[in-house]
Amino acid sequence: MTDQIRAVLQESRVEQVEIDRYAEEVSALIGTEKVSNNHIDILSTCRDYWPVSSIWMLEGAVPALPQLVVWPQTTEEVSQILALAHERRIPVIPYGEGSGALGGVVPLKGGIMIDMKRMNRIRELDHENLLVTVECGLNGALYEEQLNRSGYTGGHFPQSLRCSTVGGWLACRAAGQFSTRYGKIEDMVVAAEAVLADGTVFRERSVPRTATGPRVDHLFIGSEGVLGVITTATLRIWPLPEKRHLASYTFEKLEDGLEAIRMFMRAGARPAVVRLYDAQETGNHFPELGDKRCALILLIEGAAAIVNGEKDVIEECVSARNAEDTGPEHVKHWLETRFNISAASRLLQKGAVLDTIEVTTNWHNAYSTYSAMQEALKDVEGTMLASGHWSHVYPEGAALYITVVGFPGDDKIVYYKNIWQSAMTACLAEGAAISHHHGIGLHRGQWMAEEHGKGLDVLGRIKNALDPHGIMNPGKLGLGEVRKWQK
Amino acid sequence: MAEVNMEELLNCALCPNICRCECPVLQVSGREAVAPSGKARLAAMLQHKQLNWDEPVFEAISNCLSCRGCTIYCPFTELSLCDELLNTRLAAKASGIRLPVIDPCISNLKNYGSPYGQKGGPSAAGKKGAEVLYFAGCTSQANHPSSIDAARKLLNKAGVSFQMIDEDCCGYPAEVWGDQELARQLAAENRRKIVDSGASILVTNCPECWLTFTDRYPVWEQDLPLEVIDGPTYFLRLLREGQLKPKKSEFEKISYHDPCIWARAAKKTDEPREILSLIPGINVQEPLSYGEQTRCCGGGSMFQLSFPETAEAIAERRLAEFPEDAVIVTACPFCREGLLQEGRRVLELVEILEQSC
Ligand SMILES: Cc1cc2nc3c(=O)[nH]c(=O)nc-3n(C[C@H](O)[C@H](O)[C@H](O)COP(=O)(O)OP(=O)(O)OC[C@H]3O[C@@H](n4cnc5c(N)ncnc54)[C@H](O)[C@@H]3O)c2cc1C
Ligand code: SF4
Ligand code: SF4
Repeated sequence: MTDQIRAVLQESRVEQVEIDRYAEEVSALIGTEKVSNNHIDILSTCRDYWPVSSIWMLEGAVPALPQLVVWPQTTEEVSQILALAHERRIPVIPYGEGSGALGGVVPLKGGIMIDMKRMNRIRELDHENLLVTVECGLNGALYEEQLNRSGYTGGHFPQSLRCSTVGGWLACRAAGQFSTRYGKIEDMVVAAEAVLADGTVFRERSVPRTATGPRVDHLFIGSEGVLGVITTATLRIWPLPEKRHLASYTFEKLEDGLEAIRMFMRAGARPAVVRLYDAQETGNHFPELGDKRCALILLIEGAAAIVNGEKDVIEECVSARNAEDTGPEHVKHWLETRFNISAASRLLQKGAVLDTIEVTTNWHNAYSTYSAMQEALKDVEGTMLASGHWSHVYPEGAALYITVVGFPGDDKIVYYKNIWQSAMTACLAEGAAISHHHGIGLHRGQWMAEEHGKGLDVLGRIKNALDPHGIMNPGKLGLGEVRKWQK
Repeated sequence: MAEVNMEELLNCALCPNICRCECPVLQVSGREAVAPSGKARLAAMLQHKQLNWDEPVFEAISNCLSCRGCTIYCPFTELSLCDELLNTRLAAKASGIRLPVIDPCISNLKNYGSPYGQKGGPSAAGKKGAEVLYFAGCTSQANHPSSIDAARKLLNKAGVSFQMIDEDCCGYPAEVWGDQELARQLAAENRRKIVDSGASILVTNCPECWLTFTDRYPVWEQDLPLEVIDGPTYFLRLLREGQLKPKKSEFEKISYHDPCIWARAAKKTDEPREILSLIPGINVQEPLSYGEQTRCCGGGSMFQLSFPETAEAIAERRLAEFPEDAVIVTACPFCREGLLQEGRRVLELVEILEQSC
């Protein structure tokens, strides 16, 4: 049945007899109900939320198809699945909830989709040490719900909270909307358990900090499925905050807003939410503020005494840049609408090509990276909008998030490739990093060599050592070929 | 047959599955094929003839409880995914595709007017021409006739002149299984009997019957020429008007499970709670999710017959949200059946009320 469907990027497939033999043997190990070669399951795990997949979906095509889907329920089962695949040299792709934005799960060489969603339990809630040990297939919103039930928060709220897994967060080095206080996922992971390609299971202890050599579990944070499967993670948690303070301001110029943020970060304030929008996004998200000034929204939370202190520091820094106080209502509006993602579906149906591109810059090149990328995107024929905001900030810099929408007319894929080429060239020329939190996946791999230089070679050697047959998520993270896409 | 709204279906197919955390079938199975957007993608491919009907496709598209959990976070206010999936399924009949497991249920519907086989519960009762017609529903008749007895006793205690008819299944299961023609036949037969009864108010305790009478009968051109009232609203009315005077209940700690249809389609979340608050001695403790944010018991869309294992797994998941020592009270025969697992006491609102009156 799936034979009729065009799989645009399929590089190769495993011989069907091999897959059938594997299916039979793995079923005997983990149970037939956890294995499917049903074409519906194959079709449904063939993609993530990479916009190119959506464009192809409207044309009746898919990026590539896996050949088997498995749903392990325990670490032991993950180990059995991988060990057998390693022995047979069959590709394995970890699948969370498919919200990845860059084609990270596309099964370029067919093989086995290892869907992690049945590993969805909280294994331990450690009240004294403020830690939770969780299986990686748990949905983000359900993770936070369970923590809230016991009086805690995980502090991690990506916009995809309701449609991504804990494992996906670790695998992609995700960032939540409250990251300035709680950190990115890599700041929250204390220890992880992972399974290597050959089935070896290892787990580090959840002790605070160590000087016992490099933490090999931390190597898996951001590994996007190419090194193995992350099965559980021990993460930091926080008691639900005692106080929350909401504030918003506008600035005449974006540079003023950036400078105000830099100053309060330098002074040690750590509001949970810091979002500075350019004038265009200010007008789009908060029409009542107009589209001439740049809005900054802030949410400070934690113990009351600390929140009050941070508020004072922040007020001083924003007034030094002539901010206009616009009150808490805009933040409330943002809180209510922050998970609402509907524009993309509508625009795609109207023939648009759209994407979001997030990069990281230091303060000294924050503004210039923004203007260079924006200009580069606007120069591509067909672009209607290229706007930006900063939403994750650090003492040393910030993450810039650009939204681009175009109506290219005939060849959408050529336009898509052009906008990315322009944006990445501008980003690298400015000295910014090519991704802050969406990761690399299939598509952004093309710029990994430029991003890392020799470092990519080192990563490749680590990959080869841990996965000598190259079965784990081939072609991702800039490791291995993706000929049909780069052509 | 209602047309699929392609624009809304595609909005869903192109969505990153924002509501997946609230889709019970996905949460218990982990299968992308039954994720809300996953089903919409399959449905869109069917519409575009990129996919042909076969059993696995039909099975995936049928894996929807119509619980409307997905609407809690859905940004598309015009979209009703479960209706689009239903409309998609209805088109499968022409190709002869169906769920083999429900074949006996379809025969039962044809032979006995109930998917469960020969009707066991009370048939025609009361006074013909009485103002109120109490519609018991086939699921209560088959599984929990005690709730029908409780309702009858309550109506008697309140001095209401009521009647019951030799009813047929409302038609909802037939449509859910893709046989709209059979649904329409059952509806026509019921309509004839209801009109013939001379009643002016129809009260139903089963949320699926209520939704079918109010939403589907007009679509099947079987509009009912009388007022259709849901059980909770009707019994609350009797309480408010002093026709029922509850005394101290023997139940203390109660947790109310909002059936999806009452909560999200009928928006009846206050009425059952008000009833409980008017019964002296009852202390209501809410489960983790309640009101319009309630979570399905696994019994929607006839899952207890079509996908019994999924239904049971969903019920288990829902049960974990209730205080362990509370009696669970609900107002739907499917919820009651689903939640009635070992170690739990589950009753219907009418029974709790009847016991105290
Ligand atoms: C609307 C929308 C908003 C988003 N907002 C944010 C945001 O605010 N912040 C942010 O950081 N990201 C965001 N993203 C991107 C995406 O949600 C994240 O990358 C997320 O972490 C992916 O999780 P997932 O479970 O969906 O993973 P998938 O998409 O299923 O997989 C992503 C990658 O991780 C690998 N992987 C998954 N699970 C495992 C595992 N257990 N072990 C090893 N490898 C694994 C896969 O092989 C793949 O390479 C957004 C995406 C969407 C669609
Ligand atoms: S029902 Fe709504 S929220 Fe859920 S996947 Fe479809 S469009 Fe998205
Ligand atoms: S109605 Fe319920 S079962 Fe159906 S897609 Fe929505 S949440 Fe899932």
